[in-house]
Amino acid sequence: MPTFFKYILLITMPVVGLQNLAQAQESAREEDYFKISKVRSPEGTLLEVGGLCTLPNGDLAVSTRRGDIFIVENPTAGKPYFRKFASGLHEVLGIAYKNGALYCAQRGELTKLVDTNMDGKADVIETVYAWPISGNYHEYSFGPKIAPDGSFFVTLNLGFPDVWWHAQSFVPWRGWTLHIYEDGRMEPWATGMRSPCGISMIDGELFYTDNQGDWVGSGSLMPVKKGAFTGHPSGLKWAGMPNSPVKVSIEQVFSKVNPRIEYSPSGRPVKPENLEKEKFMTLYQMKQYVPELQLPAVWLPHGIFGISNSEAVKIPKGAFGPFEEQILIADQGQSKIMRVFMENINGELQGCAWDFRSGFQSGIVRLAWGNDGSLFAGETNRGWGSAGDANEGLQRLIWNKELPFEMRTVKAMPDGFEIEFTQPVDKKYAEDLASYSVESFIYKYQAVYGSPPVNTQKCPVKGVRLSADGMKARVIVQNLRQYYIHTISLNGIRDKVNSYSLVHPVCYYTLNNIPKGAKLSINEVSVKNSASKNVTDGGVPLSSVNSYAAIKPLLVKYTCIACHNPDKKQVGPGFMEIAKRNYSTDKILSLLKKPQPQNWPDYATPMPPMPQVPTTDAKKIAIWINSLDDKK
Amino acid sequence: MKRKKNNYCIFQTTFLFAGIFISQLLFAQTKIDLTNMNAFKHAGANWQIVGNVYADPGKKSKLTIKEGTGIIANLPGAAHENLTTAFEHGDMDVELDYMMAKSSNSGIYLQGRYEVQLLDSWEVLNPGPGDNGGIYERWDDTRLNGQKGYEGAAPRQNVSRAPGLWQHLKISFQAPRFEAGKKIENARMLRVELNGVLIHENEALTGPTRSSMAEDEVASAPLLIQGDHGEVAFRNIVYTKFDQKGPWISSIKYSVFKGKFEKEPDYKKLIPVIKNNAIVVSSAIAGLPKNQFLVRYTGVVNIQEAGEYLFFIKTEGGSGVLKINNSTVIPWIEENGKASAVLQPGALPFEFIYSKQVDWPQAFVNLSVSGSGLRQTQLADAGIISNGGSADPILINAEENKILRSFMDLPGGTRVTHSVNVGSPDNVHYTYDLNKGTIIQVWRGGFLDATPMWNNRGDGSSRPVGAIQYFGNPVPAIEKLGDDKAVWSKDTLGSGFRPKGYVLDDKGRPSFKYVTNNAFINDAVRVLENRQGIQRTIQITNAPENLYMLLAEDIEIEALPDNLYLIGDKAWYLKIQDAGGAMPVIRKNNGRSEMIIPVKSKLVYSILF
Repeated sequence: MPTFFKYILLITMPVVGLQNLAQAQESAREEDYFKISKVRSPEGTLLEVGGLCTLPNGDLAVSTRRGDIFIVENPTAGKPYFRKFASGLHEVLGIAYKNGALYCAQRGELTKLVDTNMDGKADVIETVYAWPISGNYHEYSFGPKIAPDGSFFVTLNLGFPDVWWHAQSFVPWRGWTLHIYEDGRMEPWATGMRSPCGISMIDGELFYTDNQGDWVGSGSLMPVKKGAFTGHPSGLKWAGMPNSPVKVSIEQVFSKVNPRIEYSPSGRPVKPENLEKEKFMTLYQMKQYVPELQLPAVWLPHGIFGISNSEAVKIPKGAFGPFEEQILIADQGQSKIMRVFMENINGELQGCAWDFRSGFQSGIVRLAWGNDGSLFAGETNRGWGSAGDANEGLQRLIWNKELPFEMRTVKAMPDGFEIEFTQPVDKKYAEDLASYSVESFIYKYQAVYGSPPVNTQKCPVKGVRLSADGMKARVIVQNLRQYYIHTISLNGIRDKVNSYSLVHPVCYYTLNNIPKGAKLSINEVSVKNSASKNVTDGGVPLSSVNSYAAIKPLLVKYTCIACHNPDKKQVGPGFMEIAKRNYSTDKILSLLKKPQPQNWPDYATPMPPMPQVPTTDAKKIAIWINSLDDKK
Repeated sequence: MKRKKNNYCIFQTTFLFAGIFISQLLFAQTKIDLTNMNAFKHAGANWQIVGNVYADPGKKSKLTIKEGTGIIANLPGAAHENLTTAFEHGDMDVELDYMMAKSSNSGIYLQGRYEVQLLDSWEVLNPGPGDNGGIYERWDDTRLNGQKGYEGAAPRQNVSRAPGLWQHLKISFQAPRFEAGKKIENARMLRVELNGVLIHENEALTGPTRSSMAEDEVASAPLLIQGDHGEVAFRNIVYTKFDQKGPWISSIKYSVFKGKFEKEPDYKKLIPVIKNNAIVVSSAIAGLPKNQFLVRYTGVVNIQEAGEYLFFIKTEGGSGVLKINNSTVIPWIEENGKASAVLQPGALPFEFIYSKQVDWPQAFVNLSVSGSGLRQTQLADAGIISNGGSADPILINAEENKILRSFMDLPGGTRVTHSVNVGSPDNVHYTYDLNKGTIIQVWRGGFLDATPMWNNRGDGSSRPVGAIQYFGNPVPAIEKLGDDKAVWSKDTLGSGFRPKGYVLDDKGRPSFKYVTNNAFINDAVRVLENRQGIQRTIQITNAPENLYMLLAEDIEIEALPDNLYLIGDKAWYLKIQDAGGAMPVIRKNNGRSEMIIPVKSKLVYSILF
C-alpha cells in the first residue's frame, strides 16, 4: 500500500470510531442531567488534588500533591479566587476543617494549620501526631476524617517492596486505620487496609474503599469498626502490639489461604497468577474462621465500577433530586462516579451500586459538596493513568434539575428484590419477565493480584409485581445466594412517558443478608415472558464484529472498556493502538489470558489476566480489534 | 493508589569484568608529590610546602601555616609569583583541594592560558565570571572602555565555601586542536565541578583568558596556579593526561536481518533485508524494522597506538557482540557490555552485532572506547541520543523563603522520612529532621530537585541542587545525659520526644517546636547576613537537669579563638554566640569527636560553611 494511502486511512479511522460512538442513542444519557463544569484556576496552577473540603462559608479548601493548600473563594462562581493558604507540605492526600483550623494528612503526620494573624496564610503548622513511615514510595497517608466527637481518623497505605505484588507493612501501622485525638493521643483502630485512598465519613461512621490488588479481589465500600480486619493480612504484623484492638494473626490467615510466595526455577521471585482450577476461599467463607473479618457492605465490581475506588460521600438532603441521602463513590482510574444505595438488613449494611457519571477529565480521588448542592471532584492520576485527557484538575458536577429515568433504589426481599424507579415505568415492559435478568457471582479471597468473578450462576426471574403507580417493581428471583453480588439487568424496561430505557440499566446488589418476611405468591405476579428463548447479554453475531456499537456490549461485559478506549490512551492503550501491533487473533486470545505488560512501557498499570472471558466472545473482540488496522 | 510500576527493565546492566581490573586500566592518574617542590618550576619564595594551614574567616587575606608536608601554600610578600608545573599537558583531567584566605584571589590556568577563577566568593549571591569557579574573561585592550573584557563564563551557581575551608575543584579540559600549525578547534572546559556541583559543561574557550602566561595557543603547556593576588593553599592535586591517539573506525558496512535472534546466527544461511555502506555506526538506518532484527556492522578499527583499550557497547532493547581482529571482545550480552582488549597499531577488522528483541524501546546503539591515556571516545554516531527514561526535571528555586517537605536521602542509604527542607533567596538552605529535632544538612546554591517526588508516581523524595555539607546520620539534637561522659543515644526512645511542627515568621521562616524530656524546645533557624551560613536560636522552657545539645560529631573538632570551632577535615565552622555561660565539651568516641554543651534556657550558635 502506498504510504500516502496508509496515512489517509490512519487519520480517518479515529473519525469513523467516533461516529460509531456518537451514534444517536434514543434514550437520554447521564450527561443530559448531570453537567461537568470546570473550576477556573490561575494558569499554571497544578491541581493534583489529594484533599478537598468545604468550609462553613462555602469556600473550598484544596490540597495538592505538590504540597500546596489553596482556599478557593466563591468556588461556584464564574471567577473563583485562589488563595494559597499553605505550601511545602508533603504530598497532602486529605484535608478537613474543624473549629477555624484545617487539618491535613501529610506522608508522615497529621498536621493542624492555623492562620493566627489573619493574613490569609497559615503561620502555625503544628504536628498533631507523627506516625512512623519507612519512606517507601507507596506509603501514602489519607485523611483526616473527623468523627462527631472531633477526633480524627487517618488510613495508611501498605508499602510496595521490589516484589510489589506482595504489599508489606514495613513499620507499625502501615495498612492500618488510626484514631487520633486533638491532644496527640493515638489509638490503632483497625487493619486489613491495602491502599485505603477512599477514607470516608458517612453519618458519623467511618467507611473506606480499598483498591483491588493482592488479597483484594475487587473494590468495595466497607464500614470500619474498631478492631475490624478488612482483609489484607500484612498489617496484622502489628496486631500483637499492646494497644492493638485487632486480635487476628497473620498465621490465622495463612493457615487457610496460601500467601503464594513463589519463585521461578532460577530462584527469582515471580508474581503469582490466578489459578483457574483450584479450591479457593471467599471472604465470607474466611469469616467463619476469622469473625473480625469485615465483609464489604457493597462490592464495586472491579473494572465495572472503577479500578481504583476513592472517596465516598453522602448526597445531602435536597441535592441531586431523587438520589438525596444516597452515597456517591469516585474512582481514580476510570475518572467517574458511582452511586450506592445502602440498607440495613439483620443489623448489617448491604446494598446496590450503579454507574452514575463518567467523563471527568482525570482520575477522581476526592469529592466535596458545594454549599449550592453541586459536587466538587478533585482529580489526579499521578502516574497511574486514568480516563480523560488531563492528569489532574478540579471539576464540578451540577444537576440540571431534570429527572433522569433511573432505578432509585433496589431493596432485598425474602424472595427477590424490590426496584423503585424515579419515574413511572411502561407496564407493557415492566410486567414482562424478558425485561429483567439476574445472575450472581463472588470474588476469591486470595494473595493473587485481584480475582476474576467466580461461582457465576444464573438467577431466573420468575415473576414481577408492578405497583399501581408504576414506580416499583417487585421481582421474584430464584437462586438467591447470601453474600453474593447479584447483577440485576433491566435492559428491557422503558419509562411511561418517553419510552426511554434506563440511563443505567444494570446494577450490582451485594446480598449480605436475605431478609425474612412474606414472600410473594405466584398468583399475584405477572409471569408473562415475551422471550421465546433466553436472551443473553452481549449476544453478538460474528458477522457484525466490525462495528463498535455491535461489540460494545461485550467490551462492557468483560470490563475491557474499563481501561481501553477505542482510539485514545486511557489506563491502557486504545484498541486502535493495539490493532497496529498486527497481532494474530490467536495471539490476542493468548495475551488476554496472559498479558505482557512489558510490551507497553508507556502505560503505568499492567493488564490483569482475563481468563474469565469465554473463547467465543474473546474471538469476537480480537477480530474487531484487528479490523481497526488498515493492514488486515 | 495501587500498583507499583512494572519493572520493565528486563535486562540487567551486566559488566563482563570485575571493576578493579577496569579502573586500573582506566586511569593513569598522577598525584603531585607535595613533600617537595620538584613538581614545579619557577616557584617563587611565596610558595611553600607546609603541613597544615588555617584561614580565619573573619580576617582579611591571612593564612596561618604549620610546618610539614602535603600542602602547598602561597604566602605572597616580597615575592608574589605564579606557580608553574614542570609537566606540560594537552587534554587533561585535574582535581584538587584548595583553601582561600578571606578576600583572597587565585586561579588555575589550564595550559597556563585558560583560567578557572579561585576567589573568596563566600558571601556572593549572583556569581559572575570573576567569582569562584568562573571562567575568567578574555581581555582586549583595543576595545572600547567597558568592553575590553569579554567571553567570561559565570558558574551556574555559587557553591563556594567559607575562607579557611577546603574546597574541591575538578576540571576536564580539552586542549585546542591544530593542523599544520593552524588551530582547527577551540579549547574547551568539558566539565568543571566545584564542591561536587557541575558549574560548567562543554564551555568553548576561543583564546587565552586575561593575564595568561602567553597570548598564543599551543597543543601542550604547563599548568599554572596564580600566586600574585592573595593567600591560598592547595593539596591533593591529581591529574590524568589524555594524550593517547584514539582509535577511529572506517569502511563501515552493515547488514540487517529480520527475525528474533538470541544468539549469533550463521550469516551464510541468511539473506539480509538491508545491506549498505555507512559513514558512522548508527541505529538510524532507513527502513530498519521496529523490532526483531539483527544488525551486523563490519568495518575497520584503526589503532594508532599499541595498548589496552576498554570498549563499551550499548544495545537498547536487545543484545550485542563486539569482535575485533576476528576475536570476540564482548560476547553476546544484553543491553550494556564492556571489556578490554590489548591491541597493536594497524587497521583491524571489527564486527558489532545488535539484535533487538524487546518491542518498546527505540532502536539505539552506542560504541565507545577508552584507554589509560584516552578519554571515553565515541566510535558510533554521537548525535543520536537514547530516549530511555528521561523526565523533564522539576526544579524548585527559592526566590523567596521556601519550605518543601520530602523524604531526604543521606549518603550511606539513610532515608530521613520526616524532613523539612528550608530554602532562602540567599541560596543558603538546610534540611531539618522533625523526628530528631536536628539539622541534617546545609547547602549552598540551587534549592531542590523534586523530580524524584513529582515525576510520574514519584518516591516522595527530593534532592538538594547545590553543594551539600552533611552532618551524618541524624541523632537527637537534645538529650538528657547522666553526665557529660554518658553515651549520646541514637534515637529518641524513652525521651518522650514529640514533634510539634513549626511556626512561620512574617518572612516565612520556620521556628521548629518539639517536646523532649518534658522540656519545650523552640528552635529558630535563620540564614545569616551575607549568606555566611545559618544561625540557630534554641529556647527551652521547663528544662530538666543535665540537658545537653549535640553541636557536632565528626572525625575532628578543633577549637579556634573567639568561640569558633573547625569541624571535620576543615569542612565547616561552628561559632557559639550565646551559651548562657556554659562551655562545650569536646569528647572522643570511637575515634571520632563529639561536641556537646549543657543547655538550660537558651543557646545561640551558627553553622558557617
